Parts: sequence; C-alpha cells; structure tokens
Amino acid sequence: MSEEPVVNIENLTKRYGEFTALDSLSLTLNKGDILGFIGPNGAGKTTTIKILVGLSRPTSGRATIAGADCVKDAVKVRRLVGYMPDKFGSYDNMRVHEYLDFFGAAYGIGRKARRARIEEVLETTNAAWMKDRYVESLSHGMQQRIGIARTLLHNPQVLILDEPANGLDPQARIEMREILLRLAAQGRTLIVTSHILPELSRICDQVAIVAKGRLKAAGTLKEVTSQLSQQRTFEVQCLQNDQLQSVAGVLENNLQQEASVTVAETEDIVRFRTGVSDERLSNVLSEIVSGGFVISQFREVVGDLEEAFITATQGDAATPATAGVGQ
Amino acid sequence: MSVAAEPIQQGFLRGTLVVAEREYPALLRSKQTGWILLTVAFCFAATVILKWPASAVADLSGSQPREAFATLAYCMLISVVLVIPGFPATGIVREIKQRTMELLLNSPLQRHEIYFGKALALVAFVFTLLAVTFPALACCYAMGGISLPGDIGLLYFLILILCLEMVAVGLLVGTYAGSPESALRWAYGAVFGLVFATMIPWQFMQGNDTIAAQGADIIRNLSPIPALRQLLGEASLNADGLGDTGSMMMRYVIVTLIAIVVAAYQTIRRLNHSLLDRSRSQGIITDDLGASDRWYRRIMFLIDPQRRKKGIPFYMNPVLVKEFRSRQFGRLHWLLRLIAGCATLSLLLTVLTTLGTVDWGVERIAGIIIIAQVALIIVLTPGIAGGLIAGEIEGGGWNLLRVTPLRAGRIVRGKLVSVLITLGLVLCATLPSYAVMMKIKPILEQQVYQVLISLVLAAVFSLMISAVISTFFRSTAVCTSVSYGVLLLLFVGTMAVWANMGSPFSHRFVENILSVNPMAGALNAMDVQGFEDFNLVPRTWYVSGISSVVLFVILQIRTWQLCQPD
Repeated sequence: MSEEPVVNIENLTKRYGEFTALDSLSLTLNKGDILGFIGPNGAGKTTTIKILVGLSRPTSGRATIAGADCVKDAVKVRRLVGYMPDKFGSYDNMRVHEYLDFFGAAYGIGRKARRARIEEVLETTNAAWMKDRYVESLSHGMQQRIGIARTLLHNPQVLILDEPANGLDPQARIEMREILLRLAAQGRTLIVTSHILPELSRICDQVAIVAKGRLKAAGTLKEVTSQLSQQRTFEVQCLQNDQLQSVAGVLENNLQQEASVTVAETEDIVRFRTGVSDERLSNVLSEIVSGGFVISQFREVVGDLEEAFITATQGDAATPATAGVGQ
Repeated sequence: MSVAAEPIQQGFLRGTLVVAEREYPALLRSKQTGWILLTVAFCFAATVILKWPASAVADLSGSQPREAFATLAYCMLISVVLVIPGFPATGIVREIKQRTMELLLNSPLQRHEIYFGKALALVAFVFTLLAVTFPALACCYAMGGISLPGDIGLLYFLILILCLEMVAVGLLVGTYAGSPESALRWAYGAVFGLVFATMIPWQFMQGNDTIAAQGADIIRNLSPIPALRQLLGEASLNADGLGDTGSMMMRYVIVTLIAIVVAAYQTIRRLNHSLLDRSRSQGIITDDLGASDRWYRRIMFLIDPQRRKKGIPFYMNPVLVKEFRSRQFGRLHWLLRLIAGCATLSLLLTVLTTLGTVDWGVERIAGIIIIAQVALIIVLTPGIAGGLIAGEIEGGGWNLLRVTPLRAGRIVRGKLVSVLITLGLVLCATLPSYAVMMKIKPILEQQVYQVLISLVLAAVFSLMISAVISTFFRSTAVCTSVSYGVLLLLFVGTMAVWANMGSPFSHRFVENILSVNPMAGALNAMDVQGFEDFNLVPRTWYVSGISSVVLFVILQIRTWQLCQPD
C-alpha cells in the first residue's frame, strides 16, 4: 500500500493580471523527503511557498498538506507547517528566548511546555548558547538558526525554508546542512529553496526545477539530470597508465562523432560524453575488454545539479509541468 | 591600452555640489514630495479664493488684504512645520540603514561637504516648497495694502530662517536616531518644542517681573510665532494687554542663527565612522551575575529589564507582551521612569499653584497641564502607533504573524491595548495634581472630570488615527510622518484657527473647528482663558468618540484584509 503524500500540489496556477507567476505546477512529497526547490529569480518558487503556507491564494489548482487544503483549511495548515521566509523578521530589543516565547505563545503552546520546547529547539539548532542574546545583535548565520528554531516550535510535519543558506559562511553552511539532515531524519518533510546548488545537492533526495512559473523537471537528482541531459558522462579507469591513449583511441573509433573523449593521465581515467544507447555502450565496452586492455572500472558519472539547472532554464520551450516526486 | 586617469577635482563647493546634485533630484523624484507640493499649492489657492474680495469696491483701509496676508502667513508656517522636519531627519538615518553612508564616508568627500551638500539640497527643496506659495502671495499683493519688502519679503525671510533651523535640527537628530521612525519622532518633537512649547511658559508668566518670567521671555525667542505676530501687526498670543517691545524678528533671527550654527557644528562633528559602529548589548542577564551585582540591580531597579522572563502566561495576549518587549521605551522600567517624570512635573505645577494661586489661578495651571499632556500624547502616539501594522510589514514580522493561528482581531487588540496602557499611564501620572486642584477649589470637581474624559478621548482618538494610518502604508517612516501631520493639524492647526478668532474667523466658525479637538474641549471645561466663551463639552466628546469608533471599525477591516491570502 502506497503512503499518503504529505505535500500534494495539483495544477497550481497563480496569475497577477496578465502575468502568470505559476503555471499548472504539480508535485507530491512523502514523509521525510527533502525537496530542493530551485529556479532562477522570479521563477515562481516563493509564490508556490506562499500558497503552501496560506499567504497567497492560487488562481486555480489545489495544494494540500497532510490532507488539509491550503486555502480552505488554512488554520489547520498553519499548525502543520513551519515556515521560514527569506527575510528573518526580527523584532527590536528582544532576546532570543523572548522572541521564541512570543511565537510559542502565538501557537498556543502552554507556558511550561513552551519553556521545555524552546530549550529543545535551541538544542536541535545548536543555538542554546544564544538564548540571552538580543536577536538583532546576532550574525546572519545565527539568525538563520533562530529562524529554524522558530519554525520548529510547534512541532510541524512540514518545514518550508526559503533560502536558509543564503549569506552563510562555509562553516555555518555545513552546520545548516547538518541541522536540515537531522530534521529530515526525525521524519519531517522539508522544502528548501536555495541558489547554492552544490549545497542543495548534498542534502536533497528530491529536486524540482521551476522556470517562468513552470515545472521543468522533478525527481531524484539522478532522474532530473537524466531527464535534462542529452548526453551522459562515463569514466573508464585503467590499471595501466600506458593504455590510456589506446583505450581513448578505441572509444573514438567506435563512437566517432557521437562522443567527446578526454584523457586524465593523473587520474588514470579516460572520460567521455555521449548520447548513444546502452546497447552501443555495451558493445564498445566489450571491444575494449577483448582488446586486452586492463580495466578496473567503467562507470557513469551522475551529472551535477548546476548542469541540470542550466539545461532546464536555458531552453525556452517548457516541458509538461507535471511530475511526480518521491513516488 | 592604458586609460589615463582623470585628475580628481577638489574644492569645498564641488564636494558640496556633488552631494546636493544627488540629493535634490532624489527628493523631488519621490511621489510623496509630489503630493506634498500639490497639497500645499491647493491649500494656498483655496485660501486665496476664500479671501478674495466678493465686491468690486476697493478696500481703502487695506484690512481685507491684511487679513488674507495673515491667513496665508499662518498657512505657510503650518505647512513648513508639518512638511520640512521629516526630510532632514530621515535623510542621514536612511543613508546609514542603506549603507550608503559608508560609501560617502569612504569617498574623498569631507564630512562638512557631505553635511552642506545635504543641507543645500534640503534648502533647495525649501525654496521649491516656498515657490509653490508665490502665486497666492502675488494675488494677496495684487489686492493692495501689502508692502513687498516690508511684509512679503520679511515673511519669506522669517519662514526661510525657520526652515533652516528645522533642517539643522533635523540633520542633527538624524545622527542620533537609530531608525527613520525614531528620527521622525524626535525631529517632530524637537520642532514642536521649538515652535510651540517654547511659548507656553511665557503665556503664563507674562507681565511678571520675576527671573522666571524673564527666562520665559528669552525662551519664547526660539519660536517664530511672536515674530510672525509682530510682523502681521497682531498683539502677542493671549497677551494680557501687553505689547512686545523691540523687534521680535531680530531677536528670533539672532537666537535661531546661533541654534543653527551649534546644530550644524555638532552634526558635522558626529558625521564620522562612529555613526556606523553602533554595537549593542550582547545580552547580560542579571540572573547570571554575582550576588553583589544582583543586589545592586535589585536596589536600582523596581523592575529589572535584564532579568530572565518567565514566559507569556496563557491569559495574556502574546502580541501585547511582544509589543511592550520590542519597544525601546516599552519595557516596564522605562514606563515607570516616564510616569515618575510626569507625576513629578504635575505635582511641581500643583505646588506652584498652591504657592501662587492669587497670581495664576487654578485654571491657568490646569491649562498648562492639559497642554503638556496633549503635547506628550502628540509626541508619543505616532511614534508608538504609527508603525503598529506598517512596522510589522516592513520588518518582515507580519508574514510570520499571518502564518500563526492568531486571528486579526487578537493581533489588533494586543497592539492597541499596548499603546493604550502606555498613554493611560502617562495620563494617570497627572491625576494627583488634579486631586490637589479639587482640594484647593472643590467647585472644580465636575470640571476636572470633564477634563479627564476629554484627555482620555484625546488619547484614544490620536491612537486610532495613527493605528489606521499604519494600515495604509508599508513604510513605518511614512506612517509616522502622516500621523504627525494629521495630529498636528488636528490639535495645533485648529488652535491656529482659534488664535485668529475675530480676524478673520468668526466665533461660530472657530467653535465648529474646535469641536474636533478634544484638547480644546478640556480647556473649555476648565474655563482656561480664551476658551470660556465656547460650548465645546460634550460636543468634542461626541465628535472624537464617534470618530474613534468609526476608525476602530476601519482598523479591524484593514487588518482583516491584510491577514487574508494575497
């Protein structure tokens, strides 16, 4: 029996007059998924997020969180979702524990339970030492951690984080990554937007790329890169360095115009990009082996997110804006 | 290919002009400025139309043109007092917030060039604002009976000096303020103090030969109003049959020029990198201090702001608590200081009453307390309530509040009550002095109750106006400026009409205008000199009460709208 999706977006469309910010977007996410929601500026990421948290009303389509409709059951959705906007939203002259105390009270958490919960979320985000500091005196990275602590106060099932790694230094980024992975391990579903794609590819098990309001690709990182890339990259690792040029020759002879072959002598690797079928590749590999070359590995290199992103957002023609994530 | 570097052109005027050339067009480009200029032009045109002689018969005495001239002069004074302070006050703070001040201070520009560049741009804006009034003054001159150098020229000179003073004060305030709203609050407070409050002591001490009276006479030279009244050929405001001796214009110009030089020097001195280096407390907690420090703080503070809080109890509105905690002067220890200050001041005045009852009279002292209380309300309310909703939107907190289960009504109630408590405490602090008054003159009991009702309504009305304004703009600074403008128009503008009773305004017209001003109701209830002949209570209560209810409904609707999905 398949698990009920935690986040379900069906044909979500948002128009501002003539301008279409979001065009028939469909996505599903399961419990514990971390979705990297990426796209260029103005692609429709924040619009989607705003609809999910009840800050914006869709022109058409539907979005549900744990079965609750984001428009009709907005009050219920508020308790299910923890939202961290790209802007921190601090108040002057408030200490961290006062800031969290206020939001805890706003979510109706009792005083005693709130005190324990504040300690807990500060521990989770490695921010316990900041609790007596004034919020506005904290650095950007520290504020981001407090922002996540705030979203966790009411123990939401889904966390929606808009640019959580924005402006963080490498150390803070590593800490942020660890925090997000810890939250996903607790069974929460995360939707994370970011422009720092290598960072995102390290934590996300699902990726959705939007551009001009339309979904360009969605799925696991491998699925997305294979959806978008016309050519795949392969590596042939030789045991003997003097065979590299010969192996490269075999590849060039067999694939001719259909591949670009490069030799990395320091790595003992022949790398090539090609769009040929798996049958053709199998034949080429057989020929290399039968030629007496000693091959230690033949592997496909998974394309990176940046490459997929650029491919997805470069083309003008939009792909059908429906894709299943996590199914 | 090498590119030859252009020689850097230097010189005081050049640096000043570089800054001014950037500032002045930026000032003119904003929609806000356009609306201000249009509104001023419209008001002046309307005044001329109202004052233009209906008959074709020439007024040989020249009284009609002089009446029109007086009205236009007051309009000009009110316009500049309402419009000018906001621009210099927010200019420097915005530069700091937008981090362009860093760029300016790191450029080869000297700090005095930055200062004079900004001042020059603001003066150019003042000329633009005054140019809008030229056609109206020209019409007035065309009526005859008005001298170009003696009347119109001197009026423009006086207003220009006032504007220079406001620019200097505004820029100085901008170097101290931490945010545009705070800059506006302090700038309008300072201008209100200089233009109006400086005259208050003399109003009650005129004719005396004491040192205090002489001091009051010197202090009133900071205000342009005595000079303006002398220029218009009018007696001093509410003078006890005494005319001003000597040139008030000269006295005002000398005192103001000194104030401008001092303010400019201090501002230039402060224009350095320390402006950008404002560290704040990292959060020392009394609970973590040693025993002796804890005892010291226990003695010094009735309520220690640095003690760790227990958390918001279930019966409290969290927004109410948050408002108090996040406001710079909202924390209880500051409120207690404010209340203590008010209580001390009011009791001091009451002591003066008991000592000098024969000379002053209880009514006059009550008048001082009423005006001081309303002044405090005018200064405090827009600063606290002007950003009630806009501040949340601007700071990004509004979206966070919207995603919590809090409903619009609870948010509004929490915010309104937080301001009402502050204003209520300020008003309560003066209750002892009213009690003493009732003891001195028991017959005043009924009047004192009427005064208190009027003051409560003044506070509620001011709060509702500022709160509603805060839902219509997305910038706190704009909301605060508009709130100050509306409140000054309501409380000071109507008093300006009262000051011109007889010429040109009739008693009936003045009474109608004053019915929107609860302060006038309080002064009327207390039979303060100049207000005895009006019948404003309970009229002002109905007007301000009903208006407050209507504004509350608008506030609820607006907040509900802002809470809805976009």
